[in-house]
Amino acid sequence: MAEPVIENQTHHHVFRRLMGYLKLDKKSLTLAILLLIIATGADVLGPIIMKVFIDGYLTKRYFPTAPLVLLAVAFIAAYGVSALFHYYQMVLFQKVALNIIQKMRVQVFSKVQHLGLTFFDQTPGGSLVSRITNDTEAIKELFVSVLSAFLSSGVTMIGIFAGMFFLDVRMALICLVLMPFILFLMWWYGRLSSAVYRVTRAKLSQLNAKLNESLQGMAIIQAMRQEKRLRDEFGRINEAHKVSRLKNVKLNALMLRSAVYSVYLLGLILILSFFGIQSFAGVVSIGVLYAFVNYLDRFFDPVNQIMQQLTLYQEAMVSAERVFGLLDDKRMAPIQIGQHSPKIHEGKVEFRDVSFSYDGKTDVLKHISFTANPGETVALVGHTGSGKSSIINLLMRFYSIDRGEIVIDGAPLTAFTNEELRRRVGLVLQDSFLFVGDVASNIRLSRSVSEADVREAANFVQADAFIEKLPQQYQEAIGERGATFSSGQRQLLAFARTMTLKPKILVLDEATASVDTETEEAIQLALSKMRQGRTTIAIAHRLSTIQDADQILVLHRGEIVERGNHQTLLEKHGLYYQMYQLQHGADQEKVVHR
Amino acid sequence: MRIFYNLGWFFKQEKYRYILGVLFLMVSSALSLIPPYVVGVLVDGIRKRSLNPLLLSEWIGFLILIGIIYYFTGYIWRQFIFGTSVLLGQQLRNTLYRHFTKLSPDFYQKHRIGDLMAHATNDINAVQQAAGDGILTLVDSITMGAMVILTMVVMINWKLTIIALLPMPVMALLTMHYGNLLHKRFGVAQEAFSDLNDKVQENVSGVRVVKAFGEEEAQIESFRVASKDVVAKNMAVAKVDALFDPTITLIVAICFFLALIFGSRYVILGTMTLGQLTSFTLYLGQLVWPMLAFGFLFNTVERGSASYDRIQRLLAIQPVIVSKEGASAVTPSGDVCYTIPDFRYPGSPDSVLQAIDFTIHQGETLGIVGKTGAGKTTLLRLLLREFDLQDGRIEIGGTSIDAVTLEALRRAIGYVPQDHILFSATLSENIAFARPEASQEEIERVARLANIHEDILNFPDGYATVVGERGVTLSGGQKQRISIARALLADPEILIFDDSLSAVDARTEVAILQALKKERHNKTTMIAAHRLSAVEHADLILVLADGRIAERGTHDQLLANQGWYAEMYAHQQLESLVSEGGRSNG
Repeated sequence: MAEPVIENQTHHHVFRRLMGYLKLDKKSLTLAILLLIIATGADVLGPIIMKVFIDGYLTKRYFPTAPLVLLAVAFIAAYGVSALFHYYQMVLFQKVALNIIQKMRVQVFSKVQHLGLTFFDQTPGGSLVSRITNDTEAIKELFVSVLSAFLSSGVTMIGIFAGMFFLDVRMALICLVLMPFILFLMWWYGRLSSAVYRVTRAKLSQLNAKLNESLQGMAIIQAMRQEKRLRDEFGRINEAHKVSRLKNVKLNALMLRSAVYSVYLLGLILILSFFGIQSFAGVVSIGVLYAFVNYLDRFFDPVNQIMQQLTLYQEAMVSAERVFGLLDDKRMAPIQIGQHSPKIHEGKVEFRDVSFSYDGKTDVLKHISFTANPGETVALVGHTGSGKSSIINLLMRFYSIDRGEIVIDGAPLTAFTNEELRRRVGLVLQDSFLFVGDVASNIRLSRSVSEADVREAANFVQADAFIEKLPQQYQEAIGERGATFSSGQRQLLAFARTMTLKPKILVLDEATASVDTETEEAIQLALSKMRQGRTTIAIAHRLSTIQDADQILVLHRGEIVERGNHQTLLEKHGLYYQMYQLQHGADQEKVVHR
Repeated sequence: MRIFYNLGWFFKQEKYRYILGVLFLMVSSALSLIPPYVVGVLVDGIRKRSLNPLLLSEWIGFLILIGIIYYFTGYIWRQFIFGTSVLLGQQLRNTLYRHFTKLSPDFYQKHRIGDLMAHATNDINAVQQAAGDGILTLVDSITMGAMVILTMVVMINWKLTIIALLPMPVMALLTMHYGNLLHKRFGVAQEAFSDLNDKVQENVSGVRVVKAFGEEEAQIESFRVASKDVVAKNMAVAKVDALFDPTITLIVAICFFLALIFGSRYVILGTMTLGQLTSFTLYLGQLVWPMLAFGFLFNTVERGSASYDRIQRLLAIQPVIVSKEGASAVTPSGDVCYTIPDFRYPGSPDSVLQAIDFTIHQGETLGIVGKTGAGKTTLLRLLLREFDLQDGRIEIGGTSIDAVTLEALRRAIGYVPQDHILFSATLSENIAFARPEASQEEIERVARLANIHEDILNFPDGYATVVGERGVTLSGGQKQRISIARALLADPEILIFDDSLSAVDARTEVAILQALKKERHNKTTMIAAHRLSAVEHADLILVLADGRIAERGTHDQLLANQGWYAEMYAHQQLESLVSEGGRSNG
């Protein structure tokens, strides 16, 4: 019993927080509700006008022109007002809802921008994207459909009851008997459908995941002759999905319109019995009876509407919980500590006894200390998982460290503003990421870099040769992830992007994936040019590219096991020597004999 | 309406469900005509003071009965009509999936997975809706509409019916028009949303670049613009969407108005009772739905039709690569012999391979090197018959590869692709992909061969670790080694490595190659690589340049050849030796 209570509490909490967003646009919301009330008032007026007509004139066969024309005008006017105000009310509700969602989206997106890499490491990209877009879209449904449906249905129901009470208090009280039935039906359906609905959604996402994965891996499925097995697996998921969909259909068939219609009939029976029994004793107003039947007819539209929005409501609540979870995430990106804001002039980098762990359990770096003097190149080598990338990640302040210290030009890394750090420390990543846009915008990003500087940077890294061969040159469009460019070209563009910064410190993560040799040469040339006059921390996979480094750190399982320059390291005959031998295995004798 | 003809096969297949469904739907509609009639009778009874308790209770009892029957018929037709449409969705999905598994690689080259997914989800939904809501609205708008109007004409007053219904067609036309408008604007809004999605996707994939360049604020700003655009496009939708209800309210009010004005005249003239007028206005209310349904029908049907056509177009695509008639089912084995004068991809004017001619003996290793785009991957994929040759032949053990069934050919070949594709299943299941029945020992054995066993043991759940789940990320090298293990488990006659060692380090590469050599006795291996070290020990190395064999021979022969290979090899070596030597000398 304890669990549902807790669930309910978080449910209430999520709901309250969602409703908090309504405050963002109080004015429009108030106006929308006002319009809704006027429109509903006009709605309720209709049957009353008819009642006046029937009881006052029709049954009495009394037809004076002026009052009847007035009545006719009032009738048309009431519906005209209703239509007009309902229209603006609905548009306004949509506007409020869409604006709320837009603000919520920006809020979530901004939050994600300021989350640390720890968060990104632990969150699959797909699900993150889905939270920012799809989950907020589901919440949009809450504000757009559910909220306006609930509000307008509620107001309509209240309006109708007001009309009923105005016409006949006793009959209205009897009609109130219907409310518990309706509320019970809603509550019960909500309960049952949320369970069924959740299963259906889960099955659907399984189905789509299976399909997506199969399409991506079709070459493998076919090459390994697993078509039949996969078809069977897909068929099973499809079957399970069908079963839960059928449950959904069944539940809706049992509890939606048919059930609501039964309650409607119950109401009709109540009204007819009441007036019927009254008629045995005395005169009954046919007009009132007419108006009640008419009201009853309209009363059930909002009920149907609410019932149909219930599943949306549940979905929105689940989504909201996920979105709020993201908004409350504590894994923020490291930020500046203190007000000092030092500047980077020289580019001297020091690691002082730095140890680091991503998960708080296993250390990926142990007691790392080294100094890169201004203009020097420090190369990091080691096997996959030796900790090379972690050193770079820490130097970029992607993660905060708790043991040891990183110092740039005498000031701790944590003391710099983000802006200073990003401007002075240029990173070139293994996989060169390109944004949708054009060549120039990819080099420039959002910074105010002049056209000339863009060209100069491209020229400097020798990317100009291939850029100028493009039909649109610097304005050449770049599609999704720069798929039309070779990986070598993408790297050169990334180089140019970094060089527009003219950074003091260069951080390089050499690409592992092999590029064809010619491009490789251009890349190496560009790299050596870039390194000139800059402190460089570089991860190298090909030892050949770092032989002129001032210092080579050989990492093994998070520790620096050897350090020195190429020559001294080779003479040591240690790990570096071995790695070198492996890369140049065939010619090892030549190396040894030299 | 073509969709109903197109779906004829399904309606035929499920004819009993549909016949019963439609029947019960019609009964249901007919039943809903009774309560307004009863109201009319009772109003007249009350007015004329002819109603007595017995009569009242009889009518009430009758209403209760109607209510019960209506509830059950309503349940039954929903089960039949909507339930059956769910079956259609399931069936189409299975058909489409089966079709996907048969299509050849050229199909997957031409189609984006996102589009194919859309066919399997949105389009199937739209067709399913046509078979559910479409049938409902078709039957309801016609039968219910006809029944209500008929009742009004026959039971009450035909003249009043015509007068009161005059505005109704306007409503049907308007709602249909809104529907079309809505559909168009909705498409635009969806596009804006998908742009927003792309924006986020890009941002998340490029998070390191965003952070390294301090681009966070700029990203937020451009997201803000994109999200505002979504709002604007959705407002355009809302402005149409909000038209439906007021239009209906207004037109129904006009109908009511006409009914009351003219109805009152008939009441005064005595051709109609007040009770009948009451029933009449209630019937008017019941006409709203059939009119609306008529509008919905057109939209549902139009969307369903378009979607059905798209699905059919997909299903009509024939796999290009199929087993030839009379092909042998015996697994081919023996020397692999290529004779390809010219190969170009279907529909492309450029030739990818030219004058390819070589034989690799059973048990030997072939190395293929060359620049990106030289044709290495194409050369390997041709052996798998991912594409068929227009010219020339490839033989295994003297049998042309199209003389055996696709199944037999694929049984002979193990393929480790360039891009490592793993499935969301446990690591064990991934390695045992080609042989799901393989024992854990076998799985671990190949994992050791591929140098991935230790890595796997370090994962939280070892071999039971599920790929792609939270927290577990495999590096490129690990994925590559798992796909190597996966190919090894099948112990194929011919093993193909398509640049499959690019993400593993040099030491691991050597270990894997050595293990392979020991393990694969008398079995053929083909390795395409960028790194020359991967092919050094091959029995035959082909150097491809622009789709031609530029050089061939063993490592030593090629070195002696003094060509591209030797140059490349020397290049790597010399570069290091010169700088090292230079330093040691100076």
